[in-house]
Amino acid sequence: MCCNNSLNEKEVQTRESIPVDLQSIRGMKFFDPHVHMTSRTTDDYQAMADAGVVALIEPAFWLGQPRTGPDTFRDYYSSLIGWERFRSSQFGIKHYCTIGLNSREANNEALSEQVMEMLPLFIYKEGVVGVGEIGFDDQTALEEKYYRLQLDLAKEAALPVQVHTPHRDKKKGTQRSMDIALEHGLDPYMVIIDHNNEETVKDVLDRGFWAAFTIYPFTKMGNERMVEIVKQYGTERIMINSAADWGISDPLAVPKTAALMKQRGISDADIQLVTYQNAITAFAQSGQIDEKDFVMVQTIDQSERFEGNTVLRGGQQPRIDTSSIIIS
Amino acid sequence: MKNQIYLYDVRALSELLSTFIRQYVTVENYSWLEEKAALVASENNAAQLNLSFAAISRKTGRADTRLNADQKKQVSVILPGFSVDGWPLHRLCRTWILLQVNPGDQDNYCNKIGGLFKNAEMNELADLYAALPVFAYPGMWVNRCAEGIRSNIGIVLEAIMYDNPYPAEFLDEASWNQLVLKAFFTDKDVNRIIGLDNRANPKLASTLIDYAHERWAAKRQVNNQLWRLVAKFIDATNFPAIQKIAASEDLTTRKAAALTCSQSEYAPARNLLDKVPDLRNDIIENKLNWLNLNS
Repeated sequence: MCCNNSLNEKEVQTRESIPVDLQSIRGMKFFDPHVHMTSRTTDDYQAMADAGVVALIEPAFWLGQPRTGPDTFRDYYSSLIGWERFRSSQFGIKHYCTIGLNSREANNEALSEQVMEMLPLFIYKEGVVGVGEIGFDDQTALEEKYYRLQLDLAKEAALPVQVHTPHRDKKKGTQRSMDIALEHGLDPYMVIIDHNNEETVKDVLDRGFWAAFTIYPFTKMGNERMVEIVKQYGTERIMINSAADWGISDPLAVPKTAALMKQRGISDADIQLVTYQNAITAFAQSGQIDEKDFVMVQTIDQSERFEGNTVLRGGQQPRIDTSSIIIS
Repeated sequence: MKNQIYLYDVRALSELLSTFIRQYVTVENYSWLEEKAALVASENNAAQLNLSFAAISRKTGRADTRLNADQKKQVSVILPGFSVDGWPLHRLCRTWILLQVNPGDQDNYCNKIGGLFKNAEMNELADLYAALPVFAYPGMWVNRCAEGIRSNIGIVLEAIMYDNPYPAEFLDEASWNQLVLKAFFTDKDVNRIIGLDNRANPKLASTLIDYAHERWAAKRQVNNQLWRLVAKFIDATNFPAIQKIAASEDLTTRKAAALTCSQSEYAPARNLLDKVPDLRNDIIENKLNWLNLNS
């Protein structure tokens, strides 16, 4: 889930611009373990596939407009395991999701009760790799109540938990999220603490949790800072994601950061861990991720013919020529 | 006081607002409003309320209204802290219509107003939040106000944060702190938050200092206004942050540090202020204060 910080013009203007060159990471595979594709376009799917993203996780989140009834939750969860998964497959990207009641909407108690009743129907579905994203936003009593209930749900289902940490009062909120997870008897190795920064990372790693970093312009981590974090803390239990959503965000954040890491002297093996393997290791504890599946949905060169036939394989989306003024 | 439906003279406010409205709307639209007001006052369900509330923007357009000093004073005499100056005309008209809803039955009243919130588009939502101070049963809108602070829609946040006396008067500490944090996070003009300094508290100060550290770690700017909420709570643990801003290369940040120290009882902070006699004098002579810091 993103934030809504307005842009500080001074910060934008002083940013230096280095042209993107993803050539150096060609052939590398990426896994984006946090991206809200529901809020993105088909152009993003194509660009992600072209940049080497082979699989992703879409956590259930707040759509920006607060939901007023249980049916809109149900339809949203269904879309994560239905329509959006299909849409992703058309671009050759394997789509997984985590299912949960997000912290903001947990403040609507009457509705949350109905959603909690619904969650068990969804968390056992195929391709659901965790309970998420859950945790704190304003850090209210109701947020805590539903965070705790969902931790119990995840524990019973033996699913990893994807924990959203708050934008405001982040340091204390992150500590509190971990304290509560431990209190509920969760193995920290089953818990991915998301949206870390320089102020939270040490504590998260020291306590045995996974530390995810969101590369998100202006408000969360920049990727230059991320390079420094990897240099300082190494790669164990560290993963990066884009958390791209309806805000100003970048669905190519993972491959771009890989390219920057390469440019700044981080080894290919280490890049592979933080942009691909660690996320898989963490979420595959759900028993729902098989890397062989990534190949199954892989994009094919559409100029090739399949058994002498020009019909696109497996319902792949035809490419449009975006450089042409003619739309046909 | 506690069992009163309204804590102010609602009829006086209604009459006053109607005189402002008459200044801005056509004769035809004014009689439409009057007709709707009578129907809203007498109906048991919310049909006329829903209709007139939504239709007002089509009747009135988006023009802003301006009050003269006299009119502003008349408003604040009836409801201290409340202001409608600069409101778009639709907000003024909607607020006036809301004042006509019969508050006799609390549940019915709250359901009617709640229904407007639930079905509102964003301008309507902003109008409703701006009107929080005039609603009957003022204590009943606390959760609604906290919910509004969770919005990411700029005009909705501003309707709650700017020139609105409701939050400072009714929100509990946790919700109040969220409002202030969110204002900093979204670069709002905190000088327009009513009750900002009065509701400073140690928890908020501690969170704001964490936030400043986070911004520094990310090499991002820190809004100098946040230190005014830290000032009263400077102690040995957070004093290094004050020393850091006092040593800033940026003059405005050093001014903020001086202002912060001037509001502290903590001796090392007072000593720090004594090291910048020019700024200290400007503060004493009120040439430098939080309102003009950034200008």
